[in-house]
Amino acid sequence: MTDIANAPKAATTKKPGLKERYALMTRGLDWETTYQPMEEVFPYATYEGIKIHDWDKWEDPFRLTMDAYWKYQAEKERKLYAIMDAFAQNNGHLGLTDARYLNSLKLFLTGVSPLEYMAHRGFAHVGRQLPGVGARVACQMQSLDELRHAQTQIHSMSNYNKLYDGFHSWRHMHDRVWYLSVPKSFFDDAITAGPFEYMIAIGFSFEYVLTNLLFVPFISGAAYNGDMGAMAFGFSAQSDESRHMTLGLEAIKFMLEQDPDNLPIVQHWIDKWFWRGYRVLTLVAMMLDYMLPKKVMSWKEAWEIYAEENGGALFQDLARYGIRPPLGWQQACDDKEHLSAQAWSTFYQYQGAAPFHTWMPSAEEMDWQSEKYPDSFDEYYRPRFEHWAEQEAAGNRFYNGTLPMLCQVCQIPMLFTEPGDPTRICYRESEHKGETYHTCSDGCKNIFDYEPEKYVQAWLPVQQIYQGNCFGPDADPTAADFNPLLEVIKWYRMNVGVDNSPYEGSRDQQNFQAWKQQTTSNAPAGGSPAGA
Amino acid sequence: MTYELTIEPLGQTIEVEEGQTLLDASLRAGVYLPHACGHGLCGTCKVQVLDGEIDHGPISSFALMDFEREEGLCLACCATAETDVTIEADIDDEPDALNLPVRTVTATVSRLQQLTPTIKGVWALVDEPDGLPFQAGQYVNVELPDGAGHRPFSFAQAPSNPREVELDVRYLPGGVATTWIHQQLAVGDRLRLSGPYGRFHVRSSAQLPMLFLAGGSGLSSPRSMILDLIEHDCMLPITLVYGARNRDELYYVDEFTELAARVPSFTYVPALSHEPDDSDWAGARGFVHEAAAAHFAGDFRGHKAYLCGPPAMVDACITTLMQGRLFERDIYQELFISAADSSRVRSPLFKRI
Repeated sequence: MTDIANAPKAATTKKPGLKERYALMTRGLDWETTYQPMEEVFPYATYEGIKIHDWDKWEDPFRLTMDAYWKYQAEKERKLYAIMDAFAQNNGHLGLTDARYLNSLKLFLTGVSPLEYMAHRGFAHVGRQLPGVGARVACQMQSLDELRHAQTQIHSMSNYNKLYDGFHSWRHMHDRVWYLSVPKSFFDDAITAGPFEYMIAIGFSFEYVLTNLLFVPFISGAAYNGDMGAMAFGFSAQSDESRHMTLGLEAIKFMLEQDPDNLPIVQHWIDKWFWRGYRVLTLVAMMLDYMLPKKVMSWKEAWEIYAEENGGALFQDLARYGIRPPLGWQQACDDKEHLSAQAWSTFYQYQGAAPFHTWMPSAEEMDWQSEKYPDSFDEYYRPRFEHWAEQEAAGNRFYNGTLPMLCQVCQIPMLFTEPGDPTRICYRESEHKGETYHTCSDGCKNIFDYEPEKYVQAWLPVQQIYQGNCFGPDADPTAADFNPLLEVIKWYRMNVGVDNSPYEGSRDQQNFQAWKQQTTSNAPAGGSPAGA
Repeated sequence: MTYELTIEPLGQTIEVEEGQTLLDASLRAGVYLPHACGHGLCGTCKVQVLDGEIDHGPISSFALMDFEREEGLCLACCATAETDVTIEADIDDEPDALNLPVRTVTATVSRLQQLTPTIKGVWALVDEPDGLPFQAGQYVNVELPDGAGHRPFSFAQAPSNPREVELDVRYLPGGVATTWIHQQLAVGDRLRLSGPYGRFHVRSSAQLPMLFLAGGSGLSSPRSMILDLIEHDCMLPITLVYGARNRDELYYVDEFTELAARVPSFTYVPALSHEPDDSDWAGARGFVHEAAAAHFAGDFRGHKAYLCGPPAMVDACITTLMQGRLFERDIYQELFISAADSSRVRSPLFKRI
């Protein structure tokens, strides 16, 4: 090599780089056990078939000591709570574009915030079970982040609970309400998998591939619609997300580099968890296109940026490892034209069983849909929505009085259409031990067929209602005037006729209008808060 | 107005324009800093300011905390320099980098030789007696006539000869610089050169067998590196897989054949992708990545690989290496990040390749 002695001297004695310093502080914290065999200390480390030969090849996705971690998070909390307090004290809710916006928060609080808590539990569990010390430290920090996210979301939205309907029993509802079984079963599926599958399911597929589709629309929606509280926790959480994303990426690289036998296992998990996550995002699609009074972007636009462009670049890079884009990717791209309209139609029909308000888009909003979805909205959805709007105006709002059939895997009602034919509902079925199981798509059917023993155990809300498991202790099915659906709604702890009413004429709508008017006129106080 | 930006632990100094972010300047100079959102929200690009003054730019107070500002941290994606600045970034130290200072020198064209129908060798004698010292694998910027900017070319000679610079230049139809070099440059012409630049060099401290994959005029850096290794009696196995379209485009074939015969640890695998089927060529046929896969039976574990050549060749080689279980930490390439590259959507899966 070039003679170093004769080369001009560049730098004086170097101190260790950040990577080296971090390694000195975090490695060698574990030990080989002697009283117990290692495989009993880490009982879940091998059964999934993932082969790891050298945990020292794990590259720390971020370098943060616990000491620094507490300092960071403490300051984030101080800032966040100062903003939330200011927002609440200044009646920030009256700066919202419209009270319809609050329904996206109700959906988030009941559907997503409990998942943050589950993510906290999941990473704590996985951090205990992975035999590599680097991975364990990273999982521990993500576990704490997720707990913080759950808490700050709940706190920022709790301000609304004093004033508006539908915010009161989110935790109770999460475990019971029909559509909330969609996000709940998604996370239950992940947390009951092995530690490596969990890392691909949540660390990689959800936190990396899909999280932007959840968070960016939601946080931008908050910003566009005047919700400073939700916006502030969004920023606070996003500053943690970069760590989560890099952890997910390191996890998949590490598994793929450790042994060629890991490739087909990881590929199967990517196929499965892309589709599971995508199905959960149906709720986000609906929120973006139909629930935000001031729109940020359409679901189709969000999908094109965050999935097709960014996700496409990722899968191009992963192809070097032999990974191909997930099965179902193309169908998800094709369905961007239809997803939100099909979901909103369903919630509109089942308004009576949902603790948030629904409505038909205004004429102006339908024009927005036509502009964003020129190839589908006018042809397939506008006629239906105009008809429903007319009927509602004539005092004949449409309610679907029967219970929908649910997919055995994603637990979403059978509302999705056949690939390439948006006029025909898609049904798939599989047989297992003499029983027939129904799924909504090829994606969900593939997942079922691969692990039928797991999915036959699904707690499907509709089946549970028909089996009589969704009534309160005081319900009397033998009474002459027994109304099973009403009893279910009560068991959900919905405030009947208030939480689950159409937006038009709702207490939220009336109160918001009255309070808003007070801010600019001297009219007498009107409205009664949700608690009253 | 430009300032100097020194990046630790590399010890490399680059230029940063007023208003240009530290991240942008680093990426354009070929220094990868970790980054993600690019607009001050996520904190991935956090670096320590060791010396100098910066402006933080429009960043989120959640992504960079007050106490971090007090400790002198900043987000490279938004920070701009207000004086000369030294930062410490979360990047790997390179114990093998010589970090030679950049100099601007004048030189006289001493020899021109058509190496292949499309590649011309240019030799230029540097005025200064100690020449232009460089580390094998680095490049030099050649100033174009009439203020038309400059172009980078890799040093093709061994670093033991810093006085007579050799640049092997492929003719690109319509290219301003290569047209000038191929059609106008004459012996006796004066050149202004600045360098050495780049972080493409042999990782000799790893003490692992080396694999050089090169195509077209991408032979320059590997040639310089291999000559340097052999001059210093490197005992580790060295393999050069070099790809050209046909027999006419293959250059330095005699030199490498002689070297392979003389040095037992060196193996030379020339491969031709478009050689007529009926020719008497007895060597490998196909692309570089195919010849490499065949030579190593698809298993590259335990090597350090150095890639240099057209983007499509480099891309195919990275895929082949990874399928042969050699991963990012052991693959090196010269990265010229142009404005077009930074606007392309890239996933953060890989950092250097």
